[in-house]
Amino acid sequence: MSELPANRVSTLDPVTFEVLKNAFSTAVDLMSEQILRTCHSFVIFARDFSCALCDARGDTIMQGSQDIAVHVGTLHYTCKAVIEAFPEDIHPGDVFAVNDPYLGGTHFNDVRIIRPIFHEGRIIAYAQANGHWADVGGSVPGSFDVNAREHFGEGLRIPPVRLWDRGVYRSDVARLIFSNTRVPSDNEGDMHAQAEATRICQREVLRLAAKYGVDTVVTAMSEVQDYVERITRGRVAALPDGEWETVDYIDSDPAAGEGLIAVRVRMTISGDQLHYDLSGSDPAVGSFLNSAYGASVSGVMAGTKTFFPDVPLNAGFYRAVTVELGPEGSVVNAPWPIAVTGFCSGPYEKIMNAIFELWSQVMPERAIACSFNLEYLLVGGRDARRPDRPVFMWYDWMVGGWGGRNGRDGSTATAPIFGVGLAVQPVEGQERLSPVMTTRHQILTDSGGPGEFRGGCGVEKGATLTAAERTVMSYCCDRARSIAWGIDGGLPSLPHGVWLDPAAGDERFLGAVFSNVAVSAGDSFQRPSAGGGGYGDPLDRDPAAVLEDVIDGYVSIGRARLDYGVVIEAVDPEICSYRIDANATAQARAEIAVHRRGWQLEDAEAIAVRYRSGELGAMDLVRRYGVIVDWGTGELLPETTSQFREMVARRSVAHWP
Amino acid sequence: MTHLRVAVDVGGTFTDVCVLDETTSDVSVAKVPSTPADPMEAVMAGVAAAGVDLRDVALFSHGTTVATNALITRRFPPVAMVTTRGFRDVIEIRRGTKQDLWDAYKDVAPPYVQRRHRLEVDERVDYAGRIVTALDEDGARATARTLRRRGIETVAVCFVNAYANDANERRMREILVEEIPGVTVSTSSETLPEIFEHERFSTTVANAVLAPLVGGYVRRLSDRLRQGGYGGDLLLLHSGGGVMTPRLVDRYAVRLAASGIAAGAIAARHIALLAGHQHAIGLDMGGTSTDISLVYDGELRVTREWFVEYGYPICFPSIEVLTIGAGGGSLAWIDEAGSLRNGPQSAGADPGPACYGRGGTAATNTDANVVLGRLSARLVDGAVPLDAEAAAAAVRRSVAAPLGLDESAAARAALQVANANMADAVRLISIRRGYDPREFALVVFGGAGPLHGAALARDLAIPTVIVPPNPGITSALGCLLVDIRHDLAAMFLRPADDVDPAEVETEFAKLEAEARERLAVEGVAVGDISLQRSLSMRYLGQWRSLDVPCGVGAGAVEAAVARFHDEHAREFSYRRDGAAVELYQLGLRAIGVTPKPTLRPRPTAARAVASEASRRPVYFDEHPAAIETPVYRRSDLPVGVVLHGPAVIEQLDSTTLVPPDVTAVVDEWLNIRMTFDGEAQ
Repeated sequence: MSELPANRVSTLDPVTFEVLKNAFSTAVDLMSEQILRTCHSFVIFARDFSCALCDARGDTIMQGSQDIAVHVGTLHYTCKAVIEAFPEDIHPGDVFAVNDPYLGGTHFNDVRIIRPIFHEGRIIAYAQANGHWADVGGSVPGSFDVNAREHFGEGLRIPPVRLWDRGVYRSDVARLIFSNTRVPSDNEGDMHAQAEATRICQREVLRLAAKYGVDTVVTAMSEVQDYVERITRGRVAALPDGEWETVDYIDSDPAAGEGLIAVRVRMTISGDQLHYDLSGSDPAVGSFLNSAYGASVSGVMAGTKTFFPDVPLNAGFYRAVTVELGPEGSVVNAPWPIAVTGFCSGPYEKIMNAIFELWSQVMPERAIACSFNLEYLLVGGRDARRPDRPVFMWYDWMVGGWGGRNGRDGSTATAPIFGVGLAVQPVEGQERLSPVMTTRHQILTDSGGPGEFRGGCGVEKGATLTAAERTVMSYCCDRARSIAWGIDGGLPSLPHGVWLDPAAGDERFLGAVFSNVAVSAGDSFQRPSAGGGGYGDPLDRDPAAVLEDVIDGYVSIGRARLDYGVVIEAVDPEICSYRIDANATAQARAEIAVHRRGWQLEDAEAIAVRYRSGELGAMDLVRRYGVIVDWGTGELLPETTSQFREMVARRSVAHWP
Repeated sequence: MTHLRVAVDVGGTFTDVCVLDETTSDVSVAKVPSTPADPMEAVMAGVAAAGVDLRDVALFSHGTTVATNALITRRFPPVAMVTTRGFRDVIEIRRGTKQDLWDAYKDVAPPYVQRRHRLEVDERVDYAGRIVTALDEDGARATARTLRRRGIETVAVCFVNAYANDANERRMREILVEEIPGVTVSTSSETLPEIFEHERFSTTVANAVLAPLVGGYVRRLSDRLRQGGYGGDLLLLHSGGGVMTPRLVDRYAVRLAASGIAAGAIAARHIALLAGHQHAIGLDMGGTSTDISLVYDGELRVTREWFVEYGYPICFPSIEVLTIGAGGGSLAWIDEAGSLRNGPQSAGADPGPACYGRGGTAATNTDANVVLGRLSARLVDGAVPLDAEAAAAAVRRSVAAPLGLDESAAARAALQVANANMADAVRLISIRRGYDPREFALVVFGGAGPLHGAALARDLAIPTVIVPPNPGITSALGCLLVDIRHDLAAMFLRPADDVDPAEVETEFAKLEAEARERLAVEGVAVGDISLQRSLSMRYLGQWRSLDVPCGVGAGAVEAAVARFHDEHAREFSYRRDGAAVELYQLGLRAIGVTPKPTLRPRPTAARAVASEASRRPVYFDEHPAAIETPVYRRSDLPVGVVLHGPAVIEQLDSTTLVPPDVTAVVDEWLNIRMTFDGEAQ
């Protein structure tokens, strides 16, 4: 790397450029630190927030180094929305708020606070702090109404509004916002934390302007974008030109019959330009699992960035990577007023995983199979442990398994690809705040999709309601049917979904998306998070690795045989003594190799019958037969099954010898 | 008569010894190579090299990386965990986050205990401390027998909600001790009785893996010192900035995990206070990294978020030290988009900078300093001749040619970027926390710190730079002047406006009884005990708490709450006086005061004049041409001498650069103090 790229054009000396580049990054990270330490929303505290410094046009100069993936590539949209909404009408001391997903935001909970930075009467930049508020109104607590079809049920839509006018707090505007939420004082605390953070960024930028001269700083703002564009284009140019295409699915459209909903991604590398086209995706669905344009672009940028982990994020990156979402009205380009709050469980991660798959072909050394789906469960009601019976919200999300990789297993029990900084909450904290007692929170044996390098393991969480009254449960997830898939011959993991075990009555499967299910004291519920899909043919997995997995309980003896054809015998489990039966293993692997193509073609209804009878389990159906049923009733989903089998044929079967 | 205080600081490369003679107040030092296979060998060699007779030693204190290294290398004794059924994966699930957000091929390290050795028993305590399920005694005993069969030597007992009721954990410990001869047991309720299972379990597991190792090392070293004639306790520097004795090492072994890092910060604080500065930033710049610490109002900043490996927090209060990958060996390089970068990659100890002549060809900060004449190719007292031509060639190849600069401009550019990176790091630890660097002194040490101190201070508008007498062994000094200290805490979640003062008093009294018991075990006399209360609190709804000191008696809580609003405004730049405040935790700092020597200032020399050892051309920032600069031996500089920059001051373990427009004075503590001329800073 000792040769200077021919295309370096700079008017700044190398020291000033590097110093200012790092200083911009520090200014943004100072904002993040401030928010993290002063926020009120536990969602923000769990790192669901992002910060950016944007230039006078609204283009991003630097985004926070620890920001959540899901906001990537959207902060310039909301900054530009403010600039457009207040032409010639932005003044020193102003602070704006916006959360509009139809103006490039993500969902209503993500409220962005934007402060113009003036130098001697001229706007030189904007500081932006974006945080997920715990509630912004709408028909359900937390503002996640699974059944919403339009934005009116989802929450308060905040177009660009002025919260501080020339330094004066507009309590009228603030009241309008906070009067429409369930936790006004938390919201106000978060808003102040965010506004203070942007002030800190402003202070840093003005310090730099005083020290280096405002023109130098403004020049550096633009050169930092050029710098990132140069790096990105240089990397892309070094790759072969070509076109790659794939499809991932959302489980279903509740307003239509069964059948998976396609999110199609075509990627083109042409010279130093990277282009994505999502125009073949299906129409918007009749639930809130749609995405408006900002969030879809974010999915593309975050998916791509995963393969350029060391490249900083700013507008230079977005210039080298272009996106065509296709016509309005699709599941990835939903216009107002289609409900989009569930984009994170719906199209977002489908776009990211699809892009992971495409890049796995371009950069096999960084290949990765599908990861578990973002999920969260909300149990809300009255806490009868206290005489005043206050409202409680048990708002819970889990870690899960990531896809198997080239040369190593996927990561176990990891935050979703939607944001790997999103921390799970401690059970001990939850038990203080809500009448919900967790009965287990543990890694789920056999959850990793089988492969030469298996998917990481998911987890399971079970809980019992104690002194809860007037309580309902809602769930936002996906992939009960479009199950996390393997690549290069690897196999899928297992279905998402909540199982309810009422104090009176039989266990029932509530699915991966539902709202307002009534529950009461004594009821138990549990849910898994999927593991990652497998990478490579499971029959090629080193039996010694399977043995280690069995000793640690990541894989059971039973599924070691079914999924890997590795026959393991327990010698003295108390002291972890097991051994591989080499002959039986060779025989089991040969048998599987002979039959496995045929299993994928067996009569699906006959398989469903065997599931209903209890002879086969969900993992058998998903991994061995490629059959998808309603996991509660066992009813076959024929259209879904045919789409799923087609997918398995392409990603798994085609790669077997 | 014992009259020596000896401090030994074991680092990765060298073991430093610092000896204070209480009768003369003289400090002498020695440096010997570390012996990682058995660190004790270097400790004893260092003591010998310093000419210390252990029979003359009044106090022997020790900063050790034994615990840190054990966690890094994971050379653990056979270890297991016993936990509540359903929760054996808490330490593997963690909080689920990754340190590297974007690289899908960078993983969090696995837990310290393999899943196969994490066993479950039936028991359950609820959020209020009620026993919902009693410990299944038969199951517990069967589990203990299983662990015995597996040859397990140390066990972490980690039960859900044990911070609220420790009965089941205590019973489990009894059963383990009955069933497994010689086992070491750490329970989460004793190690860290605080809410949040992962943080408590993780700290407890780290304690369990370290207790046998650290305990063994400490006992062997104690024996050796005793054989040599040392009659006192071996004092072990811990993460909180105090020392503890070997008697409590088994229970709190994990507190030694940050021992090595704490020493430098403690030394920086000590030097700053001696020089009359209540606010100081410590900058310890070595070969591959720089440790930055902060003293405000005479106290080091303390954090509860500390780890050796990401994902496995060790939640004891630890001195906050920010480590960045910038040192003498950091590489200057041009990235793929043509931008000049510095670090974090380093030439390390091998091959080291190009000027070491051990085959390094990439330009490091040390090479750039040689090119600029700031560092002499031949150290003034030194045995290590540097290869100036190799340094120049490396700078030409790595920086000058690609950027089209001449050699000196390239070297200067490389160092400016390095200094800016360090300044950004200082900003993160200061401005980010609401501190204004202009109120601080910068204490620079480590081999490379004094070369960069003045430039950094100028960038940060810090008015004063202090270079201690022996920059290369300053950390050892940090071990010399500390008290026995324990940090205790108890959960206390209450609204601040609805607190029963009697209840607060009762809870503090419990902590104080525990503290007195611990200090008694360590042999501290009642008269030497000092107990300091604190309260941690937050605005209702916030997720982080702030610690503020708390007095005793009526009105103490109200006063602490008032102080909380002030601290919140300073640290986070806003306050909400009308908002509800929630108490979170009671804290107690228990100090056993160790006898202190009196350090005597040196009298100003009658004729405070320095004589030049030599002159050489040196390049400074903002002066395009080299300036013919006087070079001094530090040992030749009398107290009270005033040097106007430019000047270079050389000593065995470091070189101090005094740029033009900077005045350097040798103070009564033998520090070099630099201030900037003609600037209202």
